[in-house]
Amino acid sequence: MNGDQDPVRLPEPAGHAVPDGAVPSDPAAVELAARGASAAEARARLVASRARIVASGDEARRRLQRDVHDGPQQRLVHAVIALKMARNTVERGSEAAELVEEALANVERATSELRDIVHGILPRSLGYGGLSTGMRSLVADVSLPVDVRVVTPRLPTAVETTAYVVVAEAMTNAVKHSRAQMVYLDVGIEGETLVVEIRDDGVGGAESGIGTGVIGLFDRVDAAGGSLTVVSPPGQGTTVRAELPVRPGEG
Amino acid sequence: MMIIDVDRPLRIVIGEDDVLLREGIARILADAGMDVVARCGDADEMLSKALDYLPDVLVADVQMPPCKEDDGLRAALELRSREPGVGVLILSQFCEPDFVMDLVGQRPEGVGYLLKERVGDIDVFVDAITRVAAGGSALDPQVVGRMLGRGGQSGPLRLLTPRERAVLAAMAEGKSNLGVAQSLFTSQASVEKHVTAIFRKLGIAPAETDHRRVQAVLAYLRADDHR
Repeated sequence: MNGDQDPVRLPEPAGHAVPDGAVPSDPAAVELAARGASAAEARARLVASRARIVASGDEARRRLQRDVHDGPQQRLVHAVIALKMARNTVERGSEAAELVEEALANVERATSELRDIVHGILPRSLGYGGLSTGMRSLVADVSLPVDVRVVTPRLPTAVETTAYVVVAEAMTNAVKHSRAQMVYLDVGIEGETLVVEIRDDGVGGAESGIGTGVIGLFDRVDAAGGSLTVVSPPGQGTTVRAELPVRPGEG
Repeated sequence: MMIIDVDRPLRIVIGEDDVLLREGIARILADAGMDVVARCGDADEMLSKALDYLPDVLVADVQMPPCKEDDGLRAALELRSREPGVGVLILSQFCEPDFVMDLVGQRPEGVGYLLKERVGDIDVFVDAITRVAAGGSALDPQVVGRMLGRGGQSGPLRLLTPRERAVLAAMAEGKSNLGVAQSLFTSQASVEKHVTAIFRKLGIAPAETDHRRVQAVLAYLRADDHR
């Protein structure tokens, strides 16, 4: 990271530092210490509730995928099969044959589009094989060349999902705005931290005018107890870096 | 490797929790002269029946009860490891190359992965089952297309002509030279020339059998780094 550029970082909450083991000797100090302790408790409750909100959002998405799989997607598959079989029974060149052909084309497209939408929400391969398969799945759909390095074991679902969402958003921005030739994706473990870095060789300048997608990322990463930085000097490409505690709740 | 006695109908076990689809598949296969020995609605029952009956092919959905996660796929993988002689054809709503890679593992023999709607292309479906029963492989063209898309922008896959990419895709699906030639409306000799060129451009050692060939192509597509 270029030392001249200040990474964009969420401010730490203001708080009163109470030295460990300090024994307050007057009522004002006792009151201060008590307020500090309850502020710390309040912050811990806030962090926990934010994590719960994020987790319940992810769970809702997974339920949506399952509902779509069991409901509309299944019905569309039936429709495709029935129409294909109908195609064999109608008279060639007849009006019925044309209508069947048209219906089949539309239903096949609907099936394919629905599959892509569901896949875009959260691909199955993320839950199935973790970050290495989830990242490969994501990168397959990116229209820029991506150099992928993912070295990580399976991690708690919340961590993997957050990492996935960060990469997905960063990739989207790289494709839309960066005019890059190449994107570099690095995912690895450093001690107790999952480090995710997405770097492109494009035009940079992302620090001014961060879109709502990235703001959502800051919130999400913060709720996971991690940190997100965006370094994007004009003309020098963009680097998005997220650090997430491998054990959520201990960040 | 299975040796097919042409007078004996292929024995099939079906695992699919969608009742209508399960019965539809059973009817299609029976019409094609196959013997459906068991039909199951959940993964545990499916595995136990498959181990009992040792069919030529197990046709299984990925997502099945009891957990409705990927129980069907896991049961199929379990069967593969315990009874390598039984062919497995997965029917799925998911176009996920990673499911395919896990299924194929080190052995593309006797393995197939088709998108569910392919069942409606009766000839394709029946041909896939027959190929898998004979120890070959049958991978859905759409899933193969996704695999090819990964290496598409960078690496040696860029060096292939559109025709060569089409031949590579057909090879990855498990087709023989004859099958490739038929699906691309060209001659076998022409396919053989393309195959040689493809292997040379990608730096893959030429393979003696169709199985080794699918394995080589999938291993190539699986590797992340092609710079």
